[in-house]
Amino acid sequence: MEELMEELKREIISVLNLEEMTPADIDDDAPLFGQGLGLDSIDALELIVLMEKKYGIRLASASEGKDIFKSIRTMAEYVSKNRKK
Amino acid sequence: MAGKGIVITGEGIVSAIGNDKKSVRTAIGGSRTGIGEMRYLQSEHHELPVGEVKLSDDEMKRLLGIPADRTVSRTTLLGIMAVREALRQSEVEKGASRRIILISGTTVAGMDVTEKNFGKMLAAAGDKQESCDLSWLGHHDCGSCTEDIAHYFGIFDDFTTTSTACSSAANAIILGADMLKAGDADIVVAGGTEALSRFHLDGFNSLMILDHDICRPFDSSRNGLNLGEGAAYVVMEREDEARERGATIDAWLTGYGNACDAYHQTASSPEDTGAQMAMREALAMAGMKSADIQWVHAHGTGTQNNDSSEVVAIDRVFGDTTPVVTSTKGFTGHTTSASGAIAAVISILAMHDGFVPVSLGAGNPISKAIPTAQSPIKTELQNVMVNSFGFGGNDSSLILSASDNGCQREEFTGNIGVEEVTRVENNSVENLKDIRRYVSAMEARRMGKLLKSALMTSLQALETAAVSPDAIVTATAHGSLEYSERLLTAMATGDAFKPTYFMQSTHNTTGSTIAIHLKCHGYNTTISQGRQSMQWALYQAELLIRSGRCKTVLVGCHDEMAPLFAKFMSMAGFAPEPEVASTAIVLRAVKK
Repeated sequence: MEELMEELKREIISVLNLEEMTPADIDDDAPLFGQGLGLDSIDALELIVLMEKKYGIRLASASEGKDIFKSIRTMAEYVSKNRKK
Repeated sequence: MAGKGIVITGEGIVSAIGNDKKSVRTAIGGSRTGIGEMRYLQSEHHELPVGEVKLSDDEMKRLLGIPADRTVSRTTLLGIMAVREALRQSEVEKGASRRIILISGTTVAGMDVTEKNFGKMLAAAGDKQESCDLSWLGHHDCGSCTEDIAHYFGIFDDFTTTSTACSSAANAIILGADMLKAGDADIVVAGGTEALSRFHLDGFNSLMILDHDICRPFDSSRNGLNLGEGAAYVVMEREDEARERGATIDAWLTGYGNACDAYHQTASSPEDTGAQMAMREALAMAGMKSADIQWVHAHGTGTQNNDSSEVVAIDRVFGDTTPVVTSTKGFTGHTTSASGAIAAVISILAMHDGFVPVSLGAGNPISKAIPTAQSPIKTELQNVMVNSFGFGGNDSSLILSASDNGCQREEFTGNIGVEEVTRVENNSVENLKDIRRYVSAMEARRMGKLLKSALMTSLQALETAAVSPDAIVTATAHGSLEYSERLLTAMATGDAFKPTYFMQSTHNTTGSTIAIHLKCHGYNTTISQGRQSMQWALYQAELLIRSGRCKTVLVGCHDEMAPLFAKFMSMAGFAPEPEVASTAIVLRAVKK
């Protein structure tokens, strides 16, 4: 799980172009949206693209992402259970 | 104002529900949708319903007498079809003493041609690229689409292109009306055209706002929009002169408003401030009260966000006097850049025959203003408001009337002049790192070269002038070429379509990003007319000042190059263009 969380942080920094950040700046349990990292609805769409491209997970709507993208830990848990690649 | 008003003396339309006014009128009267399974667009997304025009490119070429082997974009073909119908009805002929202008709204332009050729270019590595046909490059830009339409007819003295995403056609009509009022044109043909392309279908899909069933605008179960295609244009002129030449007047354009929501690139604010301002401005110009409007022909796309915020905005403007509100997107699909003109022409048809079309798909509407009627509602229509909203919060409203009320606000009094206050230029990619002086890392991270350069030069120009603008007019020949190129490459290689790139690929992203940064809700528009873009933007800014509506206008011309486009353009013999080029100018009103 630690390894997957680290990988997700690197991927998020890359796909969301968080140029001035390193994985160490992202807390495992801090909220990704709103307070915390401060991501927005366009970032949520990018994360949906990432889930499909990297892990073969297809989400049907943006609202499905709400619970999954709460934090790096919730994302990692969802990915490890549902990944197809 | 009696006799001085702007009148409409011809209309043309082509859409999913018919290839001319007569067939569109029949489909609207029969409450039949034109949305269905894809037949002409070559896309892997066959699960997505679309509102296609039921003609192939070859069939249109045959109808228009264009040789089958000539490269013409579908957007251009649709545009020619609709302009031809409008001109024939209005019997407009070239006249030595008359200045005839074409103003066309589009965003997709020749993307259908580009996407067919771009992949071929990538597949043909190295030397083989040299033998590829490069003529498609001349059809890519928005401006080239309008140029091709204008040249087909040979009667236009000049032409230009508005590109404010889904409100492009409405903003074309507004610019045209201002030119007539100012006396700078005698006849204006204005509207918009947009063909379906894989590029924008994939783009809207990446934003997850496409319904997999037929769209249901204003219904509580709505789940997104269906993309449509089509074109529509109106012939506009001053009433006195229209009467003089014996033209039949179908409607008056009594009011219009343009405002910017200045909230988000792809979403409306909860109460859609921009939409409220546009509707109020249109009423004020027309000298009308909200109770004078009998039908709001809404933008109503079927997305959660648009429909809920539009209903709130209409309620804020109309309150107890809210008339019947319907959307016709359930008939045509969302024809994006053409939609404002398509809605205007449908409104004129409905006004003529005295009915309000049903709001297809609204079985369980989210507001009591939206009827659940299954057949057209017979009613006399004196004044209809047409709403047309675009990405970036580019919101516009038009008021079409069956007669002149004589109460319109007086504009263009002739005693206002224009002067340049400041001018800032940037032609260096190196300078773009300075953007961080103005925006946070979180804001800057998505911006391509174009946006960084545009925002930076604009803010510097405003800083020097020490003013806040009350309007923003932006010019661009190619728009966000680098992100468009990355998306075209992704399409060719089967890579994922990035929503961040798509939302910046519309040409009005620059103008709306500046507005969002400044929280500037004033008039906001974008012109895309090749090398004439800046000249037209400066002209429109001057018009806004001369009209008396605006005192300080930020004008900018911003363009960028992308590696592959630069390479292909060089191979095709185009003059090289800089990697980034920006000019930002502040204009202000002076007493003459």
